[in-house]
Amino acid sequence: MAALSVNGVRREVQAPNDTPLLYVLRNELELSGPQFGCGLAQCGACSVLVDGKEIRSCITPISAVGGKEITTLEGLSARWAKQRGLSAADAAKTLHPVQEAWIEEQTPLCGFCQNGMMIKATELLESNPNATVAQIKDAFTNSGPSAHLCRCGSYTAIIEAVQRAGSAMAKGGK
Amino acid sequence: MNSQLHPTLTRRGFVKTGGALVVGFGLVGADIAQNIASAAVPKNTLDPTLPASWIEIHPDNTILIRTGKSDFGQGTTYTAYRQIVAEELSAKFEAITTVVAGDTDRTPDGSGAFDFLGRGTPNIRKAAAYTYQALLDLASQKLGVPKNKLTVKDGVVSGGARSISYGELVKGQQLRLTIPVMGDLLSPMGLTVAGNPPMKPVSQYTVIGKPFRNSVIASKVTAKEQWATDFRLPGMLHARMVHPKTLGSKLVSVGQLDKAKFPNAQVVVKNNLVGVVAPTEWEAIKASQQVAASTKWSDWKGLPGHENLFTYFREKADWTTTKVTKSDKSHGNVTPALASASKKFTATYEMPFLKHAPIGPTLAVADVRTDGTVHIYTHNQNPQALRGEMAQMLGIKPDNIIVRTFSGAGHYGRSNGGNCGAEDEAVILSKAVGKPVRVQWMRDEDFQWSTQSPAAYSDVKIGLDAKGRIEAYQIDHYMPAMQDDRPIGAVLAGLPTMAAPNEKAVFIGSTVNDNQDPWIYDGVQNLLENGHGTFQVGEHASPIAVGIRDHSMRTPGQFQQNFPRELAISEAASLAGVDTLQFRIDHATEERAIGVLKAVREASGWETRKSPRTNAAASSTTPLRGRGVSLMLRSGTYWACVCEVSVTPSTGAVKVERYTIAVDPGIVVNPLQLKRQVEGGAIMGTSAALLEETTFDESGITARDWRTYPIMKMADIPEIKVVLINNPKVGAYGGGSEAANALAAPAIAAAIFDATGKTPRRLPLKPEHVKKLFTA
Repeated sequence: MAALSVNGVRREVQAPNDTPLLYVLRNELELSGPQFGCGLAQCGACSVLVDGKEIRSCITPISAVGGKEITTLEGLSARWAKQRGLSAADAAKTLHPVQEAWIEEQTPLCGFCQNGMMIKATELLESNPNATVAQIKDAFTNSGPSAHLCRCGSYTAIIEAVQRAGSAMAKGGK
Repeated sequence: MNSQLHPTLTRRGFVKTGGALVVGFGLVGADIAQNIASAAVPKNTLDPTLPASWIEIHPDNTILIRTGKSDFGQGTTYTAYRQIVAEELSAKFEAITTVVAGDTDRTPDGSGAFDFLGRGTPNIRKAAAYTYQALLDLASQKLGVPKNKLTVKDGVVSGGARSISYGELVKGQQLRLTIPVMGDLLSPMGLTVAGNPPMKPVSQYTVIGKPFRNSVIASKVTAKEQWATDFRLPGMLHARMVHPKTLGSKLVSVGQLDKAKFPNAQVVVKNNLVGVVAPTEWEAIKASQQVAASTKWSDWKGLPGHENLFTYFREKADWTTTKVTKSDKSHGNVTPALASASKKFTATYEMPFLKHAPIGPTLAVADVRTDGTVHIYTHNQNPQALRGEMAQMLGIKPDNIIVRTFSGAGHYGRSNGGNCGAEDEAVILSKAVGKPVRVQWMRDEDFQWSTQSPAAYSDVKIGLDAKGRIEAYQIDHYMPAMQDDRPIGAVLAGLPTMAAPNEKAVFIGSTVNDNQDPWIYDGVQNLLENGHGTFQVGEHASPIAVGIRDHSMRTPGQFQQNFPRELAISEAASLAGVDTLQFRIDHATEERAIGVLKAVREASGWETRKSPRTNAAASSTTPLRGRGVSLMLRSGTYWACVCEVSVTPSTGAVKVERYTIAVDPGIVVNPLQLKRQVEGGAIMGTSAALLEETTFDESGITARDWRTYPIMKMADIPEIKVVLINNPKVGAYGGGSEAANALAAPAIAAAIFDATGKTPRRLPLKPEHVKKLFTA
């Protein structure tokens, strides 16, 4: 039995302490954003933010994230609304600029990796909304445990979406 | 199954009203059972002869469409299909609010996730065209105006100063038109809509050609999409498999489950199939690892190993049992023409096994119920074919099997024949434990127990005449069987499956190596293209008949045939001492082939000159630059690409700096979606060219994760430029979701030659292979 803080809500979970966070998010908390891609921290499909930093939930036991704030794809909109101080009514109809940009640029192909791509983009743009193409490529390739992999080849579309999202975030949305 | 359900437009089920034929539509919320025909099709199947099985028009003017094809990121079913139906119905794109795709009991036509655009006439287009004619008949009767005096705009029919919407037209109608279909629902190709209904002239298109968005993308980026990975049933158990030690191992003894540690887990054994189920996923994972560690398998060594593969192919593989095929375009007499040629060139090209390598490993949920029905929830590119395979495996009728498909990780053809790994294992385990079971493969299993795109090699002979033109061209392609659709769990469990690929099979499952790369250089006087086929590597030697199993992957067979052809054409141009792109134009006769070459020349800023470049060098510790071109015709679409690369001879490192591609599919249905597809194919093809090879030793596949099977990372992508050529006079829309995959490799290899004067003829162009060119 452990307590987790996920997307701003405290959740009690039944799973043993060594259970990777991914299985708890998906099976107990029914959060379907993070995906099982490798279980080896080699692809990024399972990424979530922990205290604002991207981690791989497939190798992170829940014992390591107690007391920390976990944000999944489902929580991105609320994260943005909180950062912008939006009212509850406005927050309910707001998407995170990263999600908006992903739709605008029609980025996903199969889309299976895009959870991790959007989590990585959020981490990057929260600290550097004006990231250059070189900085984006570097962040998605060299930061974290491994590069974020896309098999369908949507990298070009991801870069375009990150830049679109970044300029929206720099301007405070839209 | 019925080989031909309704060969002509029959009148079965028609109701005549005042002499006019009118069409009936399923009502919103109507039970699917109402649409099930009594005789012609099996239970739990949608009757494809009913228009409402394809297209439902609702009284509120919204439209629902159904297709047996499941979408894996091509987006076609959610964009192009809606555009095509809207166009043929003269309705708005936005009126089509629902797309039902790829379920066995809720969609009409089966078939796999390939050839979506059906060379311009996908099933859904004909179904829409038939429906449109029936709607006009109905409107003619209602408005009292002859059919040819009616006009339709945005789903409203007008004539004689009156108008009526489709919704009003069909309200309360229960009348029927029969759509003629042919084929076998459960075969990999599914059903085909027959006949030739009138189609809207291209000149009147208003919806096709516009950049509509893919409606599924919003649900995917907001975590609202239902993925196969999300599917759960009450009482469902999680499972992990314990797959054999090698691709030829038999089970000796299964490991003892530690019940103290894993009190809720259970081991299931059926012949060589071993699985572990548990109520939670983590317990299933840990228990399966514990069982695996003490399970004993027989040893087996029956594979040549990837380093000896091409020696094995040349010296040991059986190329004689399977008949040699000759391409339709072969003509003239190559042998004397080669003998008398002014300049000659021979070379061999080698392509490795490639993994489809989906980002998410295969998984499925199966529920084998006590009432004898089997329900499968999965991410599959051909659910009807899976249904047939599961019926065969279980020895039951297809009527009792329902497959539902959900979004999943793209796997690029791997399940087009009906299964992608986990489904049959989930069915076997569910039947054994009497509960719903979810089987999820781990990353290493997805590399080591799935199929791959077959390795191949080709021998090329080219003779040039005194003017430097190709006088004779001969290519001999060698490749093992490309499509093994046997469900692996059924094979391991010793349950019935189709035969392993063999020389007697027709089309799918055949060892015959057909010509897959349509010849474009019609200016060549003497041409011979041969295909040589053989059995899968190690399959006959494997005591469990597994070995290295193959399956079609994006541009199947054509990837393997286009690389040698296009690289050889570049080498021949160099032998002639002329520009490699102009050399192609000079040997092509088709306007569209020449068009894409000229377009890619202009867009890439191609400098016309001979190759290799004047300062080419085979030794350098700094990067040298070169460029290459490739050309292909696939599914009615012409493709040309130019790659500009840097290569460092001292290290063998290759980087693709710029990638320019021109595409002429005829009519561009959706430029926004096509551009994204082409970019994806460009990157996937560059990844295959530079990095990818399925490594294996004498016992099995040694690629097991993203370190041992690397794919392209974001930092390494080229700058990509896509040129879409909308060519309405072609009058049809060619495919665009996969072909870009094949173009990169021959262009990159030619660019390395351009920079260095040395041609890499073996893929992938990994540093260790490329470096050998300069040290040999």
